[in-house]
Amino acid sequence: MINNRKYDVIVIGAGPSGVSSAINCAKKGLKVLIVDLNSNSGGQIYRAPPKTYKSISKKLEESEIQKKFSNEIKKFKIETAFNHTVWQVSPGFKVNAFNETSTIQWQTKSLIIATGTYEKIIPFEGWTTPGVIGLAACTVMLKAHHFIPSKKIVLAGNGPLLMLVAYYIIQFGGKIDAIVDTSSKIDWIRSTLSLITNPKNFKDGIKWIFKIFFNRVPIYSTSSIEKAVEVDRGIKVTIKNFMTGKTKNIVSETVAIGHGLIPSTDITRLLRAEHIYNEQKGGWIAKVDRFLRSSVKGVYLAGDGAGISGALAASDKGLLASSALLYDEKIISEKEFNQYTHKILKKLDKFEVFAIAISKLNSIPKNLIENIDNDTVLCRCEDVTKKEILKAVDQGAKDINQIKSWTRLGMGPCQGRTCQYATSKVVAEYLNYEIKDLGYLTGRSPIRPVPLDRVLGDFDYEKITKVEAAPL
Amino acid sequence: MDLRVSNYFNRSNKVNINVNNKKIEAYEGECLAVVLFVNNIKKLRLSPKKKQSRGMFCLMGSCQECVVVINDKKVISCNVFIKDGMKIKVGDFDK
Repeated sequence: MINNRKYDVIVIGAGPSGVSSAINCAKKGLKVLIVDLNSNSGGQIYRAPPKTYKSISKKLEESEIQKKFSNEIKKFKIETAFNHTVWQVSPGFKVNAFNETSTIQWQTKSLIIATGTYEKIIPFEGWTTPGVIGLAACTVMLKAHHFIPSKKIVLAGNGPLLMLVAYYIIQFGGKIDAIVDTSSKIDWIRSTLSLITNPKNFKDGIKWIFKIFFNRVPIYSTSSIEKAVEVDRGIKVTIKNFMTGKTKNIVSETVAIGHGLIPSTDITRLLRAEHIYNEQKGGWIAKVDRFLRSSVKGVYLAGDGAGISGALAASDKGLLASSALLYDEKIISEKEFNQYTHKILKKLDKFEVFAIAISKLNSIPKNLIENIDNDTVLCRCEDVTKKEILKAVDQGAKDINQIKSWTRLGMGPCQGRTCQYATSKVVAEYLNYEIKDLGYLTGRSPIRPVPLDRVLGDFDYEKITKVEAAPL
Repeated sequence: MDLRVSNYFNRSNKVNINVNNKKIEAYEGECLAVVLFVNNIKKLRLSPKKKQSRGMFCLMGSCQECVVVINDKKVISCNVFIKDGMKIKVGDFDK
């Protein structure tokens, strides 16, 4: 179905930055549509529980923030398209999406991309075993769906998400068999001076660590999961300390793993915006100016999509991007723009210190890449192994798009979201290249698989205009 | 052990769903991918070349690993919410 409704601004993503930018535009009288795959605002960080859940006495801070988002969206008469998956955005701008029953197209003068991030996971032997899930998946399960994944769990990877997930699992009555962290305890201690610049998050962190400490959860530092295999009672994981080389086997029910976040560049790549590589900001990101304008006129980046700086900074980044839009559209004066953005930029500089410290805790040690076994699948969608990738590289594929053509890596349903980062690391290491020399996957639509029945819609066979067959 | 956390929210009505002709109890509106996972139905589909079992992975609509078949249609189960009587096929459904 082509609906062709026209908007001044379409905001893609209803997390904290999407909501704050939509409100900022709507306050100035612009016609705004906010689109999200989920059934409510909040994004992943403040993700709302399913609609059928009824809240009882105890309040979660996240739910309160989410409720505030919903109220403000209503108050400022922002049109919403929840449960809509965006699968194409073309210049002009036309935004194509589908929901449970049909497809739809909207038009807009300006675009605010607030699609956030997805999880960075470095492969290991057996990471495709069912029961091995992302740490972020674990967070969604705990905080939005209100389930613990299993009675027992191993948490692995690095960064603050390890501690957050551990905290909630203990809080909700689960047992943690091990926390496997690539960072050392010294790395954590070193980071405290920078982390303290964000007292709110720092306090949360201390709360998580105390809980883990008092529950005597075994922590394996400077270690990673070398291997996971399915066994009778669950999953057997081999933990390896890469300083001492010592290994240990543990049988658990679920393994949750994550190494930080990757900014989502699906849409900016489709629009052929310029991108740059910045390891500290999460990998490939759309190139933006100080006010979060992309290289494509009329396209603005809010939130973590143009570099990771965290949930607390996200709403300010939304205000910044939308202010740039309002100024470019001559809705606010230069004076108003400068005054307003000056304050936000100062605030954001403070969050940056915190973001850098977090990114250090989430850094990917070289051995994590080197230790990937040759038979390990790097591209889950198309079953492409490290060996097959390196063979293509030996035969002359020296760019990520050539590797894609050679091996089908990144051609599957996830369009490279899961494999691009780790594969680039593996190949760069092998060739002794910089990741930026390998380039990034050219954006191709559909960025999410589009079910054919949604394209066809509902129709009666009799009502189709039949065309006579051409004469032979 | 029920893996549901009920400190903050009450669930809706208890309903039955059907997974590969096996009855599973769940609550209306719960996320299908999560319900399957906690019921130890972790092998949702086979990978295209190696035919390895795969299951729920990212739980946010990015990885597309949690595909199952509902009413003869392939859908990602992390974005499906439980309805009474839902019929779900998992495993080797491409045969």
